[in-house]
Amino acid sequence: MSTKVRRVYGYLAEFKNASQLYKAAEKVRDAGFKKWDCYSPYPVHGLDDAMGVKRSILPYFVFIGGLTGFITAITLAYTTQVGLYPTVVQGKPANIFTTAAFFPVMFELTILFSGFTVLFGLLALIGLPRWNHPIFASKQFARVTDDKFFIAIEARDAKFSAEGTKALLDEIGGDNIELVEDDSE
Amino acid sequence: MAHQVTSKDIPNNGEHLEKSKIAKLQLITGVIGGIGLIASIIYLFVGGGVEDPKTEAHESSVAHGSYAFSWLFAVFFVLTLALGGCFWTFLHNLSNSGWGTSVRRMMENLGFVFPFLIVFCIPFLFPQVQQYLWEWMTSYNAATAAHPDMDASKALMHSANAHDHLLAAKTFYLNPGFWILRFFFYFIGLGFFIFLVRKFSIAQDTDKKPGTKNLFAARKHSSWSMIIFAVTLTFLALDLVMALDYSWFSTMFGVYVFAGSALNSMAVLILTGILLQKAGYLNKVVTQEHYHIMGKLCFAFTVFWAYVSFSQYFLIWYANITEETRYFLLRNTENWNLVSLSLVFMHFALPFLVLLRSDVKKKPNFMIGLCCFILFMHAVDVYHMVIPERGPSVGLVVGHHPKLWIDGSFLGDVIALVTAISGFLFLYLRNLTSVALYPHRDPRILESANLHN
Repeated sequence: MSTKVRRVYGYLAEFKNASQLYKAAEKVRDAGFKKWDCYSPYPVHGLDDAMGVKRSILPYFVFIGGLTGFITAITLAYTTQVGLYPTVVQGKPANIFTTAAFFPVMFELTILFSGFTVLFGLLALIGLPRWNHPIFASKQFARVTDDKFFIAIEARDAKFSAEGTKALLDEIGGDNIELVEDDSE
Repeated sequence: MAHQVTSKDIPNNGEHLEKSKIAKLQLITGVIGGIGLIASIIYLFVGGGVEDPKTEAHESSVAHGSYAFSWLFAVFFVLTLALGGCFWTFLHNLSNSGWGTSVRRMMENLGFVFPFLIVFCIPFLFPQVQQYLWEWMTSYNAATAAHPDMDASKALMHSANAHDHLLAAKTFYLNPGFWILRFFFYFIGLGFFIFLVRKFSIAQDTDKKPGTKNLFAARKHSSWSMIIFAVTLTFLALDLVMALDYSWFSTMFGVYVFAGSALNSMAVLILTGILLQKAGYLNKVVTQEHYHIMGKLCFAFTVFWAYVSFSQYFLIWYANITEETRYFLLRNTENWNLVSLSLVFMHFALPFLVLLRSDVKKKPNFMIGLCCFILFMHAVDVYHMVIPERGPSVGLVVGHHPKLWIDGSFLGDVIALVTAISGFLFLYLRNLTSVALYPHRDPRILESANLHN
């Protein structure tokens, strides 16, 4: 073992199955923790509620992104096709009634900007991309992609304490409770 | 998490809508619908001057012709709702869905209104009404009478009216004999299939050994029923509405009517569900989750309606072909333009923005208001399809004075709409009371009751 001082990431506890994980998550939530997460090999229905995860604010960003695309398209099409350089086709008017011809542009840019906002907003909110995650320091955590369920409570949480958190995880049925230390340099 | 619904929660004999609770509503709608129907039929047959429409215009003939259009508008409005019910029933069975088992009976009941609506369509079978609505019939009959030795297509080419030459190319489809045949095919064909599929569902309720037999039978028969539905809806829309102007043609029209129909029957289903729950029914099996899904379907079809109606408009606007543009030219003349624009903003933009939020779909009181609004806009949509043809058509038939708007005709529209909606409600309530409110012995009723999405 090296003697270097390492930052504590938090406690990791293993659970046998999805049902245990679900019940444990409810208890961690009720204990008032905020910075913690559940890890499971597959999606567990209703786990969001059990964890007390609030609704994402992403939809609001997407709405604003879509609106930006919509307004961009109107401005782009209208100023170029009506104001700056009208292209008269088949004697069609170049004024507000030409809007029908702009709809495809309006639609496309709305979708495009919304899509970009979804992708980049999501990456920003979940903090990706990143090189490493401290929890990978745990050897047993590798089994989360196979048959094990985990709950990790971070040391950053205001309610975290070396003894109390360990006791809580023990009490709610966690096995192999491990103190994970950040091994990145 | 909410309490898990188990088979203990489902009553053995199912929930039935108590007749006494809605007796009053049924009486009122039945009386209004019945009296309105009989009065309308009598008026449409004997009122007004049918003797010689080519002479000087007289008021009663104009009012008479005007009411024929009102009647078409009102009946077509309720027809689309019932047709949408058929669509959702077949789709639910065909896609092997589990989510909506607890609301499926409402879809079946809504769809089963369709065959009875033939009573409201009786006026369309008689020349007194047809002469105002479908000018092609007048032209066809006049040409074949003038040239009995020729076939219809050739006879129309000999007609003095150059417009009839367009009809000559369409006689294989637009001829009275085939029209009558199609008319009965729609109601008997689709009526039979919705009856059949609904019957399997009801048989399950009292089946001694409730297995999957009826469920699979319903799924199997929903397959061709869906084809019959698609043919019926498309050509019913063509025959009743698009044929108002036989020179106009749009390949999008059937899809356009379908989009409005599916959207608004879903609105009717949401309303029915919420109102039934408020009256104390369905509480075990229908939850917010169902309204969430149904709201999403409403949202999807709001977008689909906009997509289809814009596709229709855009291609016609761009191509600028005389036979195609006349539909939109008429509907953008003077005040009709406001109606067209209101469809863009109120039928699409407003419901679209409101339904974007997921939480509003789960608020029953809010959805009551929104669904009523959507249905109102559907009435405006159907009005916009049918009524602009009225002034020109009736004006042309009576005294050769095509007008954009016939004064005082709006009253007839309201009377016809109230009559048709009352009749529709009466039939719908009758279907609702006749069987259990949800298929309580369906193998997937518990899956549906514990829905989570």
